Amino acid sequence: MIRFEDASVTYPGGVHALNKLSLEIPDGQMVVIVGLSGAGKSTLIRAINGLVPLTEGDVTIDGVSVGSANPRKLREIRSRIGMIFQTFNLVKRTTVLNNVLMGRLHSTGTLRSLVGWYRPADVEIAMKALERVDIVEKAHVRASNLSGGQQQRVGIARALAQEPKILLADEPVASLDPPTSHVVMRDLQRINRELGITTIVNLHFLDLAKVYGERIIGLRSGELVYDGTAAAADENVFRDIYGRSLTADDVMGEASAAAATL
Amino acid sequence: MTTAAVQPRRPAKPRPSLVVPIGIVAFLAITWASLSEQFGIAFDLGKILEDITAGGEILISDRDSAAQYGLLVPNWAFLPQTVEPMIETFQMAVLAATIGCAVALPVAFVVSRVTTPNSPTFVLGRSVLSVVRAIPDILYALMFVASVSIGPLAGIAALVLFNIGVVAKLLSETVDGVDQGPIEAARAGGSNRPQTVRWAVLPQVLPNYVAYALYTFELNIRAATVIGIVGAGGIGYLLRGQYQFFNWSNVSVIIIVLFVCVFFIEMISIWLRRRLV
Repeated sequence: MIRFEDASVTYPGGVHALNKLSLEIPDGQMVVIVGLSGAGKSTLIRAINGLVPLTEGDVTIDGVSVGSANPRKLREIRSRIGMIFQTFNLVKRTTVLNNVLMGRLHSTGTLRSLVGWYRPADVEIAMKALERVDIVEKAHVRASNLSGGQQQRVGIARALAQEPKILLADEPVASLDPPTSHVVMRDLQRINRELGITTIVNLHFLDLAKVYGERIIGLRSGELVYDGTAAAADENVFRDIYGRSLTADDVMGEASAAAATL
Repeated sequence: MTTAAVQPRRPAKPRPSLVVPIGIVAFLAITWASLSEQFGIAFDLGKILEDITAGGEILISDRDSAAQYGLLVPNWAFLPQTVEPMIETFQMAVLAATIGCAVALPVAFVVSRVTTPNSPTFVLGRSVLSVVRAIPDILYALMFVASVSIGPLAGIAALVLFNIGVVAKLLSETVDGVDQGPIEAARAGGSNRPQTVRWAVLPQVLPNYVAYALYTFELNIRAATVIGIVGAGGIGYLLRGQYQFFNWSNVSVIIIVLFVCVFFIEMISIWLRRRLV
């Protein structure tokens, strides 16, 4: 279970990205976080794996504090948390497999990893992760030769190779076209359901959030303004989160309807 | 009229910055001062033209011996004697580039902010590298000739330090510019710093690194010649022996050999580097 206890993040310059946030996310849940740019979505996600340090309060994972962990402990915590990024963050000049194997570095000795001598068991885990997102045939291709959607699936495989308990996804479909977005979101949903991995996704588009989110958390100026089921999140709720009425820019479009029926 | 009223006011053009005119004036002043007799080196083009004819005998002269005809008349009989020193210079360049680049690789990561956020380490690394770079290669050569005696070993040692300076500087600047996304991904996955550098940074800069290694090898052929003149072995040392005794037609052959070697090595190196980056 992930627990935010009065967690605050104030960036140098005085911007309150998170403001005394308290929140519990039980194991295995699929949570979608929505809010405008600058509402604190990215900060919330990065507070969970300590990429953004809290200025006040604490985040605990299964009772272990992220805020007070020393570097070694923090690496151990991070090893169980996979992360997916808006811009994929792959090393484009190396192979897909090498990228996915980065997910195994946490349990590979420093010397072994410096010479690239991964254990066969780790290579097997990486290959399985690629199979799970249906892209194993690209294992030995350079990452730069892949399309955006393929790159994001490699990003997911890299996170899965960690064999994580938690999966964080920061705007995973913001750089993708609508059909590809649905492929990636369905991958995440399937991983959440089949492997029981707690999945926390930041999303821009409200319709995607409603389709894929089991639970929706709305953020506005670093504060929690909605926490409930996707079904209960109607237009008024979103108006509250966005601080204005909704426009066509806030939804992805008609492709969602097709996806909803799947 | 009404549409004009709705438009927001157009912004005024910002005042031009004074930096450019001041820079131009400063540049002109420094150039003039450098030329002038009073503050500078008293540069005088006429004098050069006047004096250059005085050296004419170097080009086609003849001292007493029948074999000495000046720079314009190469003494081809001397050619075989240049082969061994040229090979030695080549070997010095290869060895120095190999050792220098191997050492420069970790150093480059220490002197880049991207891979070394720890300030004391970064500042110390930068300072040491600045000192290494501030000393010219010829001074290294003089120092090593004095300590390990005349010969290619001194030359290699001097070139190694020179190469560390060049490659570490170029590579650290490349590291400064890498895509930091993969670094964040590696950190998020629980990698430690060496692992992050190895898998998130190194693949991004590897082609540049190989290109810099080729480039230093190219530089080394020329640098090895110059430092050879102060006693560090190779073709430079041979050159010194010949010009000290005014054997201009032998010097001529050495220059031609150097030109041909440097030209072909550069062609190959440029071709390989273009393929890499």
